[in-house]
Amino acid sequence: MGKTIAEKILAKNAGLDEVSAGQIVTSRPDIVLSHDNSAAIIGHFEKLGLEKVAIADKMTIILDHTAPPSTETYALNHKRIRAFVKAQGIDHFYDIGRGICHQVLPEEGHALPGRVILGADSHTTTHGAFGVFAAGIGRSEVAVLWATGELWLRVPESYRIELVGRFNNRVTPKDLALTIVGDIGADGAIYKSVEFCGSALAEMSVSGRMVLSNLTAEMGAKAGICYPDEKTVEWLKGRTDTELELVIPDKDAEYEREFTFDLGEIEPVIARPHTVDNLDLAKNASDIEVNQVLIGTCTNGRLEDLHAALEILKGKKISKDVRLLVFPASSEVYIEASRDGTLAELAESGATIMNPGCGPCLGAHEGVMAPGEITISTANRNFKGRMGCRESEIYLASPYTAAASAITGRITDPREI
Amino acid sequence: MTDGWATSRLPVQTDFKQGDKMTKPTKIKGRVWVIRDEKGNPIRNIDTDMIYHNKHLAVTDIGEMAQFIFGNLDGWRDFPQKAEPGDILVVGENFGSGSSRQHAVDGFIALGIQAIIGESFGAIYWRNAVNAGLPVFRAPGIMSSGIESGNKIEINLEKTEAVNITSGEKIEITPMSEIQKEIYHAGGLFEYGKKR
Repeated sequence: MGKTIAEKILAKNAGLDEVSAGQIVTSRPDIVLSHDNSAAIIGHFEKLGLEKVAIADKMTIILDHTAPPSTETYALNHKRIRAFVKAQGIDHFYDIGRGICHQVLPEEGHALPGRVILGADSHTTTHGAFGVFAAGIGRSEVAVLWATGELWLRVPESYRIELVGRFNNRVTPKDLALTIVGDIGADGAIYKSVEFCGSALAEMSVSGRMVLSNLTAEMGAKAGICYPDEKTVEWLKGRTDTELELVIPDKDAEYEREFTFDLGEIEPVIARPHTVDNLDLAKNASDIEVNQVLIGTCTNGRLEDLHAALEILKGKKISKDVRLLVFPASSEVYIEASRDGTLAELAESGATIMNPGCGPCLGAHEGVMAPGEITISTANRNFKGRMGCRESEIYLASPYTAAASAITGRITDPREI
Repeated sequence: MTDGWATSRLPVQTDFKQGDKMTKPTKIKGRVWVIRDEKGNPIRNIDTDMIYHNKHLAVTDIGEMAQFIFGNLDGWRDFPQKAEPGDILVVGENFGSGSSRQHAVDGFIALGIQAIIGESFGAIYWRNAVNAGLPVFRAPGIMSSGIESGNKIEINLEKTEAVNITSGEKIEITPMSEIQKEIYHAGGLFEYGKKR
C-alpha cells in the first residue's frame, strides 16, 4: 500500500523503511520550536538535573507572544530565556521585534520540505505549507526534547483535500480555510494529517498555503501539509543551503477521507463567536457593528495580506467608531511593507501600525477588548475570552473583509467597497 | 507543589499489579462529574481558554493553577471548590481543543482529578494528558449513556469497558495504548524518559 506524506516523512525521520498510520515511532525532530513559554519549559528542563541541552543546534526560540513585555512577570520570563539562550549556546534565538514564530522559521530557512518540526504552539501546523510534518506539542514534551532529542509520535491517519478552480474577486485562502473548517467541523480532523493538493493549490501563493496549514489546527489536525513544489523551492531560495527534498505521497496512498473544494464556489465568509466552525457568509452579518479591526497574526500578517487590506483602504478613511490595528507578521514583512509604502498608506487611512508579533490575538497585550466590544480579526481563533475579555466577541475573516469592515464600522462583504 | 508530574494529591490505592513496570493502580474508581450545560446537553468543543483562561498564563506553579480550572466555562466556574481528590471527569466531544497550554491539564492534576473520560479530545490536549501521566480514555457514546454527576465509576485498564457502579451500566472505552500505559505507570514522560 502506498504512503501519505506524513507516513513518508515520519518513516525517514524515525530511521525506518516504512511506517503506517497508528504506529508509534520515536521521532528525532529537525527543529524544535518554543516561544515565550520557553520560560516555563526551562523550569521543567532544570528539574531534570541536566547541565546542557542535547540539541542546541535544533532549538529555535522566538519571543513573540508578549513582545515587548507588558508586565514585570513577562519581562522576567524574557530575561530568564535570554540568560538560558546564552548559557546553552543556542544560535537560533530571535528576540522581540523579529516577528511571529510561524513566520520567522520559514524566513530563516528552518521550515524545509521533508523535515519534522515539533513546537510548543498549537499553530505549528503552519509550517506544513512548506511540505513539513509540523505539529504542536506540550511544554513538558519540549523539555524532554531539549534533554534527549527524541519523542514518541503516533503516525496519524490522513485526509486528502483537493483544491480546484479559481477564486472570484476578493475571495482569499482565508475564506477557503474557514469554509473547510466550517464543513469538516472543529473536531472533524482530530489527530489527522490533512494533506492539500490539486491544481488550485499549485497556483496558490506560499502565503496562501500558510493560511490553509495554519487553520488545520482549528479542526483538530495534527499536521496540515501542502504538497511541496517549485513555488516552495522558489520561496526558500537564498534562505538555506540545504538541498531540498520534496516529499509527495504515493499515488495509491491510503487516505481515511477525501474532499474536493472548488475555489470558484467560495464566498467571503466569517466565523461567528465563539467557535471557528461557526461559519456564515460575510454579507449575512452586516448588522454587526465592530469596535476594533485586527489585521495580522500568524494567519494573515504577511505582505499579501497587507496589500489586500490596502487595496480596500487606499485613499479612504476608516470609520471614526473603529480602531484598526495592523501587525506585520515579521520584521521582514514590516520592512518590505514599509519600503513599498503600504504601511504609510494604511496609517493615512487611520490604521495604528504595530510591531511584528502576536499582538492581542491571545489576549495578553496590545489591543485587548473591554466588555461588550466586538473585534473582527484576521486571526485563527474566536474562542470566548481569547482576546482577554470574556464579555467581548471575536469574528474571524479575511484581510479584505476586515479592511472593508473598518471603513463601514460594521461587518462588510469586501465586494461592496 | 511545583512539580507537574508528582501526583501526590491522588488518593492512595492498593490495587497494584505486580511487576517492575507496573507501579500505578490498574483499576481506577471514583465519583464522576459529567460536564453538561444547564439544559443537560453535553458541552462540545470545550477549548483550553474555557478550561484555563489566558489571563492566568504567566502562572508556572502547578498548585496555583487548580483555582482557575473552568474559570471561563459557563455553569462550571465553581468546579475547583466542588471537586475532590479522586474525582473523575466525563466530557463531550473535542475536549481541550485550541492552544497547547499545559495548564489546562496540570490544573486538573493539581485538583486531584484521577482520570478524564471523553467522547473525544483535542490532539495536543490528549498528548499533554498522556505525557503528564493523567489517565485519559476515549469513550465514544459515554455522554449518551445514562451517566450522571455523582455516579461512581470503575475503569479497569486491562479491559475495554468501564462500569457505572451506581447504575450497573457498562460503558465501552478504548483501552490505553501500550505507550500510554508505559508512561502512566512510569509516572509521566520525564520518568518514562529516565527509565529508558
